[in-house]
Amino acid sequence: MKHMTTMKRFSCAVLSAAMMLSLAACGSSSTGESSTTSNTASESSSSTDTSSSTATTTLSAEDVIKTAAEEGKVGNWGLGNEYEVQALLAKYGEPTTFLSQAFDMDGFDDDSITLASAMTYNELGLVKNSYDGGYDYGDTVGVIDMNDEGVAMLEDNIFCTQAFAEANPNTVKAFIYASLKGWEYACANPEEAAEIVYNYGSSVSSDHQAYMADEVKKLVETDTNGDAVTDYGKMDEDAMQQTLDLAKQYITLDDSTAASKLESLTLDDIRDTSYWEAATASTDGDFGTLEKTDVSIQLKWLPQAQFMGYYVALEKGYYSDAGLNVNIVAGGGDISETTAVYNGSVDFGVTWVSNLIAADAAGMGLTEVSQIFQRSGLVLVYKLANFS
Amino acid sequence: MKRNGSSSRFRQSITTVLYPLFFGILILVLWQTQALHAMLNIDPFVLPLPSRINSIIGESLPKIMTNVWATLIVAVAGLLLGSLFGYLIAIVATVFPKWGAGGLSIVTAFNAIPIVALAPVITNWTKDVSSDANIRSMVAKIIVVLLMCTASMSLNAYRGLTELRPFSQDLLESYAAGKFTIFRKLRLPNSVPYIFTALRVSVPLSVISALVSEYFAEYVIGVGRQIRENIVLGQYPTAWAYITVACLIGIVMYAVLIVCESILLRHRK
Amino acid sequence: MKALQTIRSSRKLVTLVWILGLIILWECGAFYIEAVKRTPENVLPHLWQIIASVFSTKVISNGQTATQIVLTNAGATLLRAGYGFLIGMAGGFLLAILMKLSGIVEKVAFPYLMLIQMIPILGMAPIVLAITKDIGVSRIVIAAILTFYPVCTNTLAGLKSVEQEKLDLMYLCAANRYQVYWKTLIPTCIPFFFTGLKISAPMAITASILVDTLQGDGGLGCMLSQSLKHAMSIYVFWQIVFLSAFVGVASSWLMGLLERRFSPQKRLAARKGA
Repeated sequence: MKHMTTMKRFSCAVLSAAMMLSLAACGSSSTGESSTTSNTASESSSSTDTSSSTATTTLSAEDVIKTAAEEGKVGNWGLGNEYEVQALLAKYGEPTTFLSQAFDMDGFDDDSITLASAMTYNELGLVKNSYDGGYDYGDTVGVIDMNDEGVAMLEDNIFCTQAFAEANPNTVKAFIYASLKGWEYACANPEEAAEIVYNYGSSVSSDHQAYMADEVKKLVETDTNGDAVTDYGKMDEDAMQQTLDLAKQYITLDDSTAASKLESLTLDDIRDTSYWEAATASTDGDFGTLEKTDVSIQLKWLPQAQFMGYYVALEKGYYSDAGLNVNIVAGGGDISETTAVYNGSVDFGVTWVSNLIAADAAGMGLTEVSQIFQRSGLVLVYKLANFS
Repeated sequence: MKRNGSSSRFRQSITTVLYPLFFGILILVLWQTQALHAMLNIDPFVLPLPSRINSIIGESLPKIMTNVWATLIVAVAGLLLGSLFGYLIAIVATVFPKWGAGGLSIVTAFNAIPIVALAPVITNWTKDVSSDANIRSMVAKIIVVLLMCTASMSLNAYRGLTELRPFSQDLLESYAAGKFTIFRKLRLPNSVPYIFTALRVSVPLSVISALVSEYFAEYVIGVGRQIRENIVLGQYPTAWAYITVACLIGIVMYAVLIVCESILLRHRK
Repeated sequence: MKALQTIRSSRKLVTLVWILGLIILWECGAFYIEAVKRTPENVLPHLWQIIASVFSTKVISNGQTATQIVLTNAGATLLRAGYGFLIGMAGGFLLAILMKLSGIVEKVAFPYLMLIQMIPILGMAPIVLAITKDIGVSRIVIAAILTFYPVCTNTLAGLKSVEQEKLDLMYLCAANRYQVYWKTLIPTCIPFFFTGLKISAPMAITASILVDTLQGDGGLGCMLSQSLKHAMSIYVFWQIVFLSAFVGVASSWLMGLLERRFSPQKRLAARKGA
């Protein structure tokens, strides 16, 4: 039984060591934190402006993409986020391989990735700004916008299973109605919306939240051509078709059954406009008897202003006014929103259209009922100094 | 088992193979006929049928093999290096008992760090190893597997090197054997079965940690990465094809271990 | 002053030197990283920076400081780890007895037990979720699955380690099967059972952190990944790394404590010593 006593000794020893560590901690806790003062979100310029201004002063987007691609230093997160980047690489005749980018911008920071993927409302803000978690590059970075390059794919939507929508049409309509009301309010008052999200257990700092709310507003209110959108949540035929076409081209599936299903998908298989039309036609939000009043929605990512519309609708009571009791489930875990909606552990989900297409190719039978983001929020960001 | 003759031992080893095999076939039949799905109340989408998994493995075998090699190299290299490292720690702990025990306790503490925390940190630390993303990812993954496999080897080998048969050390000392001789003639052989005990734990561990470390690696390759991509995209049949392959990797590695063990330990007992 | 007292014992001094060595190694690395990287805290922060973050009153997210975030989320995770551990412990013990009772069960189950260990949690999770329909239950079930293997194998090894002489003696005493188990086999396997517990207790905690990441609704695993994604201060990540290592070691130590209390051999040894 000798080994048992040695085990015990190890444990004791480590425990006492940890005690020593905490003692040492008290001694040196006086060392201040070297956090920089935060600057406000409004200071950072809009992404589209930067892209057009940098394109004239330094290398063109094409040259930047070609240089980075030939060095093998284009980054993306993968996991279904890569199709726009692949379409862009293909557009300029480059191979569609990319480096797996972590969910931080360290790889971009240390130049192991020179052309990194970033969402305008999230990573781009961290790259540019100097608040907690930021890298403070300011205007020394350039961006390539997927919308400008004509390879935009639509992102955040609201979806559920076809079966759920058919069984609970009034609930779906009421949910869209109240959610859009939340989005409308959030876009009119981004600062307040950011505050609301922050109070609902946000995953990011309040400075970054405010920045994000401003950027998300742009995605909700501008389409891929840069024109203003007034009908919140509408499903634009052309943009949807472009998304589907690109998805068919760049989603590669090992499963031949799923691959041929993907090839045969049409817009009608992936979205149903009738619920949104009914929801926006209503003036009072009364859709008759709701088939299901307790519903839940799983977000695509961690709780942040990217999803401010739902939090605002919850906070302002739009959901309860519509007779719904809504539970918002944070995403960002390994059980993806498509899986969660498919197996019924949540009723609605927020995902990217391309992910929904892949899930439908696999046979999940999901349908989009509203398209919240009207343009792509994905950009490629690079340091100007690396491409001059 | 004293009364067993060689024929009954043969029967023993046959049943050791046959019983699980029959059970496996039974499960496969239940699975294929969807009786398993009915029992567990799940649908064939989440748990695809074996025939479908099999057809996908057949269809995309070359791609699967590329990923298998990437994972296998990481798992085997990490396992061997980690075990070697663990054994060295055990030797140091045996030679310098007072100082070594402290080192072993540190190893146990390291083992309690979750791999999900370890893998991204190691990826960060190995950024400067090579300008080739494939190589530096490989290094990062091997280090993760190495660290995961170190603890079980060092703890088991330490037991093997120190828990000697009663009086055997005294006997050798009475022959005026030096420390080195005791080590070579007594401790080293005594530790061999313990090495295999450690490896039986480490082999499945090395496979699973290789799979998880791939999630966080920069270079997109490996069975684990494919499982994750396909699960996230809702491609369950493909994901299960890779899960099956991952299990096969583990089974093959374990089988190799058992064969090595029976060859090396055949003179014992 | 307590520190001075502990130093007097030499074994603790040894550990202290080890810890100091590691601290020095870490700090050398940290100084190097600080010199070459722009964001050193993401790669290897100074230990004092991590410690300072523990005592920092700066609000990180949702009105909580880094330490508050870690502690509130640690509760949920450790509770799940506890449930998973208890279920895994009971399951492992019972299965080991079952395997001892029936050679067929042992031969059939053993290879599959190992196989289950090799299925990545990501593959298991959707199935378990589809069966249980509840993410919380799924998490506990998966934590239990990941935990019970060491308990089972160690207990089985203990049950098999009983000397034939003892069993012969029981036979001479005309003991029935139940008595053989209760009086001989189970007491003998208890130290082995505890060895299994010592291995699986830290595993339950790492497993519980791992299953947190299945869905983004709180728990150490979620905070760990959020912090890594730079959604919140990176020091939350470092705190969780240290906390998980600490709790893992402490849980193993706790099992040792329980062993001394409940293991017949240990109590006997203690009495002899006294």
